Formats: sequence, structure tokens, C-alpha cells
Amino acid sequence: MKFVVNSKTLLQNLQTIGGVVVSKPILPILDNFLFGIKEGNLKITATDLETTITTELEVQADGNIHVAIPSKMLMETLRSLPDQPLTLDIDENNFTVEITSETGRYKLNGEPGEDFPKTPSHTADESLQIPAEVLEDSIAKTLFATSNDELRQNLTGVFFEIDENQLNFVATDANRLVRSQRLQIASSSTTSFIVPKKALTQLKSNLTATTGNVQMDYNQNNVFFSFDKVKIISRLIDEKYPDYNAVIPTDNPNKLTIDRSQFLQSVKRIAIYANKTTQQIRLKLAGSEMTLSAEDLDMSNEGTERLSVNYAGADIEIGFNARYLVDMLTNMTTSEVSLELSDPNKAGILLPSEQDENEHLLMLIMPMMLNKG
Amino acid sequence: MKNVDRIIVHMDLDTFFVSVERLIDSRLKNKPVLVGGTSERGVVASCSYETRKMGVSSGMSMKMAKQLCPEAIVVRGDSAKYSYYSKIISEMVKEQVPLFEKTSIDEFYVDLSGMDHFFGSYKLASELRTKIIRETSLPISFGMSINKTVAKIATGEAKPNNQIDVKKGQEKTFIAPMLVQKIPMIGEKTAYNLNRMGVKYIKTLQEMPMKMMENAFGKQGIVMWQKANAIDNSPVVPHYERKSISTERTFERDSIDVKMIKNQLRAMVEQLCFELRRGDKLTSCVTVKIRYADFQTYSKQKYIPYSASDHTLTQYVMDIFDKLFERRLLIRLVGVRMSHLVGGGHQINMFEDSVELLKLYQAMDKMKIRFGQHKLQRASSLHTMSLSRSNPFSGEPPSIPAHRRV
Repeated sequence: MKFVVNSKTLLQNLQTIGGVVVSKPILPILDNFLFGIKEGNLKITATDLETTITTELEVQADGNIHVAIPSKMLMETLRSLPDQPLTLDIDENNFTVEITSETGRYKLNGEPGEDFPKTPSHTADESLQIPAEVLEDSIAKTLFATSNDELRQNLTGVFFEIDENQLNFVATDANRLVRSQRLQIASSSTTSFIVPKKALTQLKSNLTATTGNVQMDYNQNNVFFSFDKVKIISRLIDEKYPDYNAVIPTDNPNKLTIDRSQFLQSVKRIAIYANKTTQQIRLKLAGSEMTLSAEDLDMSNEGTERLSVNYAGADIEIGFNARYLVDMLTNMTTSEVSLELSDPNKAGILLPSEQDENEHLLMLIMPMMLNKG
Repeated sequence: MKNVDRIIVHMDLDTFFVSVERLIDSRLKNKPVLVGGTSERGVVASCSYETRKMGVSSGMSMKMAKQLCPEAIVVRGDSAKYSYYSKIISEMVKEQVPLFEKTSIDEFYVDLSGMDHFFGSYKLASELRTKIIRETSLPISFGMSINKTVAKIATGEAKPNNQIDVKKGQEKTFIAPMLVQKIPMIGEKTAYNLNRMGVKYIKTLQEMPMKMMENAFGKQGIVMWQKANAIDNSPVVPHYERKSISTERTFERDSIDVKMIKNQLRAMVEQLCFELRRGDKLTSCVTVKIRYADFQTYSKQKYIPYSASDHTLTQYVMDIFDKLFERRLLIRLVGVRMSHLVGGGHQINMFEDSVELLKLYQAMDKMKIRFGQHKLQRASSLHTMSLSRSNPFSGEPPSIPAHRRV
């Protein structure tokens, strides 16, 4: 069986899905792309059993076939070839794939498509249409706050919470939390689920090139994101998400308003002088002045900055992990932000100084306990 | 620093604990004295030269020491007293010399490199020693040489209450006739292994090829060979940086009472956590040690997210203990160590830490610092014993007796 495809088009499609392939998979066949051709339609699949991505394109084919082709070799070949039409000839008996280019012939050892794991069947209990840029934006704002702790599986993904008023994206690693509320997206029924980090990373990188809506279908076990010719399927994390609303303090009498980039740059500079492991910095608010400082006792490094700020509240001294602050400030877009505090042992709330009418964003950061000054 | 001729002095207070006791109670002078635990399980922390003649050595069980030397007067040690005198001497040394390192409660190294131009190093060291003896009445010995190893060996030879200057170029010949265990890093076990290889004296070690030592003992072998050949470039480091804190306890009677043992561990964690927080430190590795009645010792460690909270670390210690305690045998000793320390405050966890609990810790620490560590304890650790100690992060070396160090 033979088919003809443009090398660049094929490469682009493979790059869309290639991020899913892991270097040392549990099953050797997961190292492959599944090529399925049916009446001139090529459907390519990559999976790590948790996340599956498929993409489709038209090709000129003289038959139908299912074959698994080694991903790394194929990608490398395509990357090193100039843009040109390629002929892929697949032996239907032993599944060897022969690629013919202008200059040569390359033979790869494929495997029967039947051996490739089956893609979860697309059944939807519920569906939602989300504008691509909204989805991309909310993923970008939450993804960085997810946990890497394998022992706390429920925190390793982004929590999607849907009701008749809004769609919430929530991520936390127990030290910081982000909640992006999308007010214009709603569903008639209330549901929630946790989508693993990996699927969302893949989704995010593929959304940059797309406009229009993404169709999100979900059932008990899986979520399906479909847009253009791409479909990303992810198994949901079967755990209970913690009651995050309980940890968001509502009474924060001390409020600081500050230029976002000025704050970010100061934190970045001070962080250079903080202990490399703990990244602890100290914010001291008194009157209309904020003092940022850090010290690394082991190295005898020390840094201090003073900023004039707009602050209303009691004098307070509070410690934060500088990396968390940098992450948060980087992922906000407004020119001004406000930081609301209550107590040196209680959460700080970082908000855009003006909320978008369609999105409410809240970032929460837990302090580090400061021992005597 | 390496290529410059160095002059290193090692000073060591003779039978320090005994000397301090004699200073306080002159009746103990010229009598056999043992300092150490007085209980059934106690060990000798320090013993006077009179008892050494009878075969007593530090680290020996008190029971055995008493059998060897029944007429000895046993004094229960008091580390606060010893720390006090140790500090006085440190201050005196600090005033006199450019660079010194305190390695334990009763010994320190002084770097006198380059002082020859001005004073004459040997004269300076001798004057320092005379001054210490005159002002504190505590006997002290020193050895002087080109590096720490030889200086320390020389002190050992000088004792009691004397001094030795190993002339430059004579280092190898000076240590050659000594037994291999005189080299500070060679303990009983290594010495035994060396003896089995036919190496009894340092001279033999000097003549061996370095490669052979490397094959037999790995990296340690190279260091041993170098030390035997009077090569030691380690510098005199003025500040003592704590890399870990630990505590351990031998029970009065071997026990299998898990509840009691766990309470003991809890008390240990409570104490170590307090020390961490007071020193503004966090740990990321906890180790639990068990010694069974048959002296088989096991330990297990776990890497954890940085913490200094009693409840978090207690949980880890209990988990490790449950995994570690698998022989159905009486336990003689348990210990807890916290290492991989880093300076900084506790990162509050929004789901696991409650504000009330954090405030409780802060209030407890404040009270402990003001009124003393044992004025406030968890009920579960009330009946356990623990040594009260000074701040381990003060830059001072730990004040544990010499034989406790591994």
C-alpha cells in the first residue's frame, strides 16, 4: 500500500502530537505513531496511555492500512529533509515502511496497527464550547501552580469546575493557588474534574495556532478537546480535589496596590540575594513604604530595596518564596496589581487591580514563617 | 595556602571533665576519678590518669571501669559546667592567635603560619599554654607541626600536661614508630583490618604504595596513606557549621515497649524541631537509628520536603521507625538525626497547617527560649529523659564527649 504526502505538512502534524511520546514508555509500541489511512484520510495518533492526541490530514493513498511507525526515526528523517512530496510504501505483510524522497530511499521497521493501544471511545456526558484564546489563557495562568508531588496526585492537574454561572480553572500545590473564573462560559449542569498537567501542556501549545472554539466533551473517565483537525484525549485524575474555597481568606484588611512590573523586577533582584533553596524574601510594609529584603546567612549575601507604595493597613512583616511571587506576577497581565494581607501566618491574595468583566482572577500565596528579625 | 609552610598547633585539655571537677572540688586531686553516667548503662566520659593505669579508658562502660578500679570516685557529669570553662579558654585563645578552630569542647587547632617573623611560634604557643594553666589551673597539652594530623598525634604523645614541637622535616620519622591507630582517622576496626594485612606500625604504612591502600580501602585508603606520610592540607576553619543535629538515648533497661519508645522519639523530635526553629533552619532528611540488645545497629533515612514542624517530622519519624523496627528483639537505643539543613522559615501549607497550630509553635518556642526547654513539654514526652543543650547553631562545636563521636 502506498500514499503520498508533503514532507513539511507531515512533519507539522507530527510535531503537533509528538510531545505525548515518552522516551522510555511502559509498552515499547508507545514509541510509535499510529498511522491509520481510510479512503484518503490519514489519522495519526500518539499516546502514553494517559494522554492521546490525534490529528488528521488528506493524503493520496491507494488503499487502507493501520501501521505503527517508530516516532523518533521518522521525525528525524522529516526534519532533515527539504520540503518535497514523499512516497510511503507499506508492506502489508511485514509492516516495513519505505520512504522515497527525491534523493533516496529509507526503510523503517513498522509494526501492525492492531498492536497499538486503542484510543478511548469518544462518549460525552456533557459538552462545552470554549473560545480557544480563553482556554489557552486560563491554562497558562493556572498550569504553573500545579504540584509535581506524585504523592498528591489530585494536585498534579488543573481543576475544572463548571456550573450554571461560570467555568473555574483552579491549580494549587498547597503553597500557592490560582483561580481563573470565566464568567461567560456556563453549563446547565454542575460538574468538576481534574485534568492532568501533561494533557494541558500539549493542549496549550497547540492552541496558539488556532482561533475559534474548542469543543470540550467529558465523561466520568476522560475529557476530549477537539479543534481544527486535532483531538486531545486525557484520562481524568480520579481523586478528590481539596476544598480550596475554605483556604481563601475573605477578610484581608491590609491592602497594597503596586505597579506590577516594578514589583516583579524588585522581587527578581532581591531573590538573587535569597537562600537558593528556600528562596525566602521578606516584605515589610509600613506607612507608604515597602521594604523588600533577603539574606543568605550561609553565603553572607544580603539585599534590600525600598519602594514607595500605595498601602492601606497596619504595619506588617511577612515572608514569601520569591519564586512563587515571580511566577504569579509574570502570569498576570494588568499593569497594576493589589496584594491583600491579614496576618504574617495567613495567606496573601494577589489580584489584578481591575478585574476583566469576563474573567475574575485570584492568586493566593502562603507565607513562609519568619523567625525573629 | 597549600604551598606555604604552615605551623599548626593542636591543643587539648587533659582529662578535661576530670580536671574541671577537681577545680571545683580539690579533694578529688591526685585520686582516681571517673566522670560519666552513673546509671547501670552509663559510660565513662572522662577518666583521670590514676584510673588509666588500671586499664580504664573513656567510652568504657561505667560498670566495667568500676570493676577495674573499685576505689575510683565517680562523678556525674554536668555539661553546662564544662561548656562554661571551655568558653573561657576559647576566649583566651581567641585573643592571642590569628586563626583558631575549636573542634570539640576540649580541643582546638591554632594556625600560627607566618607568626615566626614576629614572635617565634613555639614560644607563642608555650606562652599561651602557660597562660591557660596559670589563669584556669586546668592542665593542657599541645603538639606543634606542619599540619593538623601530625600536630594532633604530637599532642597525644605530649600528654599529660606537656608540649612537643615536631621539628620541620622530622614529621615522618616522628610518627613512624607509632601504632597505626595513632592516626586520628584510624579507629579500632580499621586498625584491626590493617593489622590483619600485616600493617602494625605507621612506618609500614609509609612504605606501602598508595595504590595498594586505595585498592584495600578505597578513597579512605588514600587519605590514610597521606596522613601516615604526614601529608594533610586540611585548613584550620574558624567557624563550625552544623551540618546536622541529632540526639540519641540508651534506655536504662532494654525495652520492647513500643509505646514508650515512640514517646521517646516524639520527645526527641520535639527537642530537635525546637532547635531547628530557634536556629532558623529547616531539615530535608530525617534518620532514625535503632540499636537492638545484641548491639546490632540499624538506621534508615528519608528525604522530605523542607520542614521544622513537630507534627510533620513526628509523622515521618514514626513511619520510619515502623519500617525499621522489624526484629522482634529488645531495643537498647534509639536516635533521631536531622540533616541537609538549610536556613529559612517554614513554608506554610494551606491544607495541612492551621494558623492556630503555627501560632502555638511560635508561642511555645518563645516560652522555651525565655524559661528553658523543659518548662514546657508535650504530655506524651513528660516521662522521657532528654539532655538539655545549648543552641547547636551558635557556631560552637557540639559538646558531646570525645568517645561519642564516630
